[in-house]
Amino acid sequence: MSCPEAPLVQAYSDGEVDALAAHTIERHMEQCSECRALYQDLLQLRTALRRDLPYFETPPALRAKVMRALDAQDGGGRRWRSPSFWLGAWSGLGTAVAAAALAYFLWLPPLTSPMVDELLGAHVGSLMSSHLVDVVSTDKHTVKPWFAGRADVSPLVVDFESEGYKLLGGRVDYLLHQRAAVLVFRHGAHVINLFSWDAGARFFPSQVTRDGYHLVFWRAGDLEYCVVSDTAQDELLGLVRLMQGAAARDPS
Amino acid sequence: MPHMDAAYRFARWLARTGEGADDVVQEAVLRAYRGFDGLRGSDAKAWLLTIVRNCHLTALKQHQRRAQVPLPEEHDPLDGDALIATTPDPESESIRQDEERTLERLVAGLPEEHRAILILREVEDMDYRAIAAVVNVPLGTVMSRLARARAALKRRWQSQIEGAPRVVP
Repeated sequence: MSCPEAPLVQAYSDGEVDALAAHTIERHMEQCSECRALYQDLLQLRTALRRDLPYFETPPALRAKVMRALDAQDGGGRRWRSPSFWLGAWSGLGTAVAAAALAYFLWLPPLTSPMVDELLGAHVGSLMSSHLVDVVSTDKHTVKPWFAGRADVSPLVVDFESEGYKLLGGRVDYLLHQRAAVLVFRHGAHVINLFSWDAGARFFPSQVTRDGYHLVFWRAGDLEYCVVSDTAQDELLGLVRLMQGAAARDPS
Repeated sequence: MPHMDAAYRFARWLARTGEGADDVVQEAVLRAYRGFDGLRGSDAKAWLLTIVRNCHLTALKQHQRRAQVPLPEEHDPLDGDALIATTPDPESESIRQDEERTLERLVAGLPEEHRAILILREVEDMDYRAIAAVVNVPLGTVMSRLARARAALKRRWQSQIEGAPRVVP
């Protein structure tokens, strides 16, 4: 009664067949009214399910409860500050930190997660505290010498205010076992942290997106750079291109 | 935090009540946290949903042991709602709401092994391979269960829409 090709029609409707098999099935359906009807049924059912089934969302109370339970588990052995610190200090901003903390173990392959976690933690932390900048200056001739003796690296310092990325100042964060130099830019309503540290031989992804934060990595000379922000990925890449262009012009 | 929401949605469909889903999600996230090193592949979502399902099955077993009677698979928490008269909306809107409730009820009434696979495919948009990993069955079983779930759902859906007299105020 049932056409032997029916399982293939289902696989086709689920996008599970390659182009060659898809072609074969399409040809078959031209001949077989049973499979044609099955295909229409599958599409109709999918449309109805996606339109009418409730799309449940995590209740905020549950999210908070899970975070508290995670926190109770955390023996404090992790390197960046535990969620309880942030939840206690900045309870209103708990959700963002909860997101960052959960992402720590849900998001990335183990190889890269501690490093991305440190960077994202440093970014979110900088926005929450009054410790966004250590040296407030839009003048690269002030910021660059300020890093000397404070950070382990001397990164390229450029202000791109005319391009929409205004330099707010600099900061030093202890990251990846060294004193990383951080440039802080404002782009529209968004703050962008630009981290730089001695590259070494570690593996880095080129781009990571986590919880609405984008991270873009690149290397210039013997320094590794990473920008972190919740601005659009394209806007972030705009700053990366400007930095790379500036580095090419001024390889100091 | 998309995976957390996916975990909740899946748990909600497995447990079929909000309270049941809460417990399952909390347990699953804690287990995931403790077993962080267990994640070696790249599909963190499938990995987390696998844990969600295991937690759901464990909770179900505990519940059954306590109650000494199996939880009936066709138990339907929404049955009561169907009898409540709706306010007189425009006709089409009323029909739409009935359909939504009908589909939700019909999916909730599917046997667990069918419901889980259908939700993973149609709501979570996962491919066969990931679904097979989550429910721990071979690929062929995913396909046959999916076909049976869809056929059963379509049959019940059509008989609901065409057959049953609608409840009117």
